[in-house]
This record gives sequence, C-alpha cells and structure tokens, in this order.
Amino acid sequence: MSAREHLGEFEHIVLLTVLRLGDQAYGVTIRREIEARTRRDVSIGAIYATLDRLEAKKLVQSRLGDPTPERGGRSKRFFRVTAQGVSAVKHTHRALRSLAEGLAVLGSSS
Amino acid sequence: MTQQPSPARPPRLAAWLVDLLASREQAECILGDLREEFSYLASSRGIANARRWYRLQSAKTIAHLAAAALLVRPLWLAVALLLGFLLSLFSAGLPEQLIVALLRTQRPYSNRHYEAYVWLLAYGIPMVSITRSLLIGCVVALLARGREMVATIALSLLRAATIVWLLFLFFGRTPPTRPVIPFLAPFLFSRALDLIGIVIGGVIVGRVRSASASRLAAT
Repeated sequence: MSAREHLGEFEHIVLLTVLRLGDQAYGVTIRREIEARTRRDVSIGAIYATLDRLEAKKLVQSRLGDPTPERGGRSKRFFRVTAQGVSAVKHTHRALRSLAEGLAVLGSSS
Repeated sequence: MTQQPSPARPPRLAAWLVDLLASREQAECILGDLREEFSYLASSRGIANARRWYRLQSAKTIAHLAAAALLVRPLWLAVALLLGFLLSLFSAGLPEQLIVALLRTQRPYSNRHYEAYVWLLAYGIPMVSITRSLLIGCVVALLARGREMVATIALSLLRAATIVWLLFLFFGRTPPTRPVIPFLAPFLFSRALDLIGIVIGGVIVGRVRSASASRLAAT
C-alpha cells in the first residue's frame, strides 16, 4: 500500500483494535473490543474479510496459535500490525484531523 | 455415580455451511472463534440463546465471505462463470442425444437386451445429465481457485434465473394448461438436479484441494 492510500473506515477500526489488543489480537477479542468501544454489531466474517485484505496489503501479519479444546480443537489466528500498518493509521489520522480542523459543527478549534 | 452433562454443541448445519464456504485457513480460525463465543454464551446466557447467536453469526459470516470472494479478481471469476454458463447452455441437449444415439445402435424388440434398453431410456438421461453438471461444476471450480463454492453457487443461481426467465417467456401470459403440467414437473426436476450437480462439482473440487493442501502442510 502506498503512503498516499487511505484506509477504509472499517479497516481503520480493525487496525486500531489490533494495535490496542497487542499480543491478544485474534477474531474473538477483536470482535468483542470493537463491539465494546463502538457499540457496533460486527460479524466474525466481516472482521476476517477485512483482516485478509489488510494482510494482502501487508498492513498486518498473522500467525496460528496452538489448538485448544474450548475451540473444538481449532487454532487461534493472532494478528499484529506491521510498521507499514502503523504508518497507514497515522496517515489516515492526519488526513481526518486536517479535514475536521476548524469545523464549528464538530466543536473543533482552528 | 452422577453422569456428566454433555458439552453444548453448536448447530451442525450452520457450522457445515461456514466450513463449506470458507477456505481451509479461514475455516480453521473462523469455526474456532465461533465455537469459543458459542461456549461462552451457552454458559452465560443459555444454550438456546447461544445457538441463535451462532446461526445468525454464521449467516452473516457466509454473506461477508461470499462478498469478499466475489471482489477478489472479479474478472477471472466472471470468465469462469461465463465459461460455465456457455458450457451448460450448449451441452443442454447432450444427455438426450447421447442416449438416443446409443439406443439407435440396438433393436429393442428383437434382441436380448430389452431390459437394458428400457433402463437406459428411463434412467440413462438423468444420469448423464447429472454427470454433465458435475463436470461443469468441476471445471468452474478449478478455474475459480480458492472460491469453488462461491463460483459454483453463483453459476447455479445464474442458470436458475435463466430457467425462470424462459418459463416466464413461455407461460407469462398464458398459464400452463393441464396437458403441459405432467411434462413441466419432470423438466423442473431435471433442471433442479442440474443445478445441484454444479454445486456438488464445486464441493468435490474444494474438498480435494483442501485435503491436498492439508497433506502438503503436514509434510
């Protein structure tokens, strides 16, 4: 992904959530964190579709954990944000801040 | 001795559908995540609630996976679908032609194979027809690498839409009269078998690919 390319809204949310969760970022925790912080009902499929896209853009990396019995013997897939992903988040943040700056309707100071 | 209650199990059909539509890597973690949340909900809110949640999440997950699969290399998927559609369109009369050609080589009333003749006439055409659909499904699934189910289901829906459109053209203004109905039912049944055959072709290719990928990963 080039530095000029912006993240989509949900991509942005997912990247921030993965950053926030650190070593514990996998499907279930990401979904719960998004629901708790944004009060938005998201499906596991939406999260994986987005994470797969972000991985293809090299903004996140994933690794498989060990299978556990409470998951029916299936593995967790842990995600972490790459350096490229961090700079994409920063870039999108800067762009959003710049757009919101000075807008009286948002109560932002110029 | 007290008997331990058996652990709650998620709805099988929903889990099977997710497994069917997701790639091998996706299925491993998505089904694991769904199972983990299901176990948590079953213990905190009850099994009925957890099952309802699982079905709803599975349906949403399938929709997202299908949409995502359609957006990856859409041109290539369109080519696979077009090829499958043309193949199924131009080979539609093939089963009948094949069986009739085979039967013409025989004289039913004067040889010892009369029963085989009748059997071929009754069951041969549907059998060749479903084999044809299976092969078309396999071809489309082979082309749609990693998106076997999405491609074959899309082709089946496309074919179903064509059939509905044709029926509307024929009977849109004048509904079928009584003598047509006995012929219409077998026609619709054979078309339905065709559509199912295409999807089964996708399932076969998807499973074979998944099994060979698992074998490769294990070595």
